Amino acid sequence: MVVCVYLPRFELVIAAGGSQALAGRALALAPLVGAEQRVGEVSGAAEACGVARGMMLGEALARCPELVLVPPDPVRVAETWEGSLAALESIGAAVEPASPGLAYFQTDGLGGIHGTREATITAARRALGRPVRMGGGPTRFCALAAALAVRSRRPLLLEGGEARRWLAGRSVGLLGFREETAMLVAPLGRLGVRTLGELERLGRAALTDRFGTAGTLAHRLACAQDSPLRARALQERLEESMEVGDASSGEALGRVLGVLVDRLLARPERRGRTLRAVTLSARLLAGGGWRERVVFRQALSDPERILLALSVRLLALPAPACGLGLTVERFGPPASEQGALLDQDRAARAARLREAVAQMRMVAGQEAALRAVCVDPDSRVPERRVVLAPIPE
Amino acid sequence: MSARALNPPRPARVRWGGGRPVEVNGEAVESLRESWLVEDRWWTAEPLRRRYWELVGERGRNLVVFHDLSSGRWFLQGP
Repeated sequence: MVVCVYLPRFELVIAAGGSQALAGRALALAPLVGAEQRVGEVSGAAEACGVARGMMLGEALARCPELVLVPPDPVRVAETWEGSLAALESIGAAVEPASPGLAYFQTDGLGGIHGTREATITAARRALGRPVRMGGGPTRFCALAAALAVRSRRPLLLEGGEARRWLAGRSVGLLGFREETAMLVAPLGRLGVRTLGELERLGRAALTDRFGTAGTLAHRLACAQDSPLRARALQERLEESMEVGDASSGEALGRVLGVLVDRLLARPERRGRTLRAVTLSARLLAGGGWRERVVFRQALSDPERILLALSVRLLALPAPACGLGLTVERFGPPASEQGALLDQDRAARAARLREAVAQMRMVAGQEAALRAVCVDPDSRVPERRVVLAPIPE
Repeated sequence: MSARALNPPRPARVRWGGGRPVEVNGEAVESLRESWLVEDRWWTAEPLRRRYWELVGERGRNLVVFHDLSSGRWFLQGP
């Protein structure tokens, strides 16, 4: 069974300093500096005034003049969310994070540690140590629907056939929680399709014809079908942070960054490995935070080149900072660039290809680069001739 | 990450007329190039029976569709 862990309004709760701050107050996450002027997550009181996530700032303030804007704090959100994921992993769960405040894990295989399925869920709740909504079902979509439906600490668990029947009565608005199907919610509403049962009855062919692959996926989700969970790989975290004092912007901040890079490279845990991707973060003097993920064109361990790549990003800092942080997201292979005695064009090409594949995966996900393997080239069935397989690291 | 098939069949809407497909996903068919029958895995619990049609659409591109003779549904296969 797939279990969904849902922490409602996670980003807003963290930025506002706790869930008590939301009680009875109309709050919304302010837009990020430089981004489109739309509000982020909103509190229940703001929702009651007609403000919704993603609404233009002007419209939100017009609908709710007493709306209080909370500066977003992506740094603390990322840290707290990482802590929650680590807590789930500490009970033995292989976790698939979807977005801050939403994650899934499979209970199969955890019975040997915790006993029953209910005991596993209780252990997860205890590990998280905060109020959380949990639901379970045969797929992640069923589990999410169940988690959204519960209003108490008692999780709602749905079994195979029962899950499909139960799902039929739920709103198509649930498709908005999935990036690939989010754009279908509005057109389905205009077409008068209210529930997932009505959507299922339209048929997969009709939905594919109208909405393409998103329609196919929506129908599969409504039929309680989904792809298996893909748990994240356990990562070791290496980070350095510093208070910047008076050096809150400009060249002085660049020098602080230089110190952070040197400290990070000097850490013994690095064991000579290069850095493939890092996250640059800052706590802002005015409150809130800023973070940016940087994937290097080539895995690096040269401090000057790393600093050059990061200094450019520092220019995008929206306001003076009071603290700067640098975290390694992914390591590359150990640094071992040595000149060749003989001409090694082929080896150099292979190395460049490996590097490009690794960079592409870091930017666009694991499936960004695949290899076509002929498994049965003479088969009369076209889809059996070639398969797409992962390229080994 | 596991291996997955390249070029899997996609559901298609096909209009039938005069003993052959005349429209595929709203695109009119200009001409029929070839048709063939594939029967495979008949020794298993999931036999495969397909009637393939290779067509040329009005936009000048090749279209390969098949009629699944077991389920009665149409699929498009190919780029």
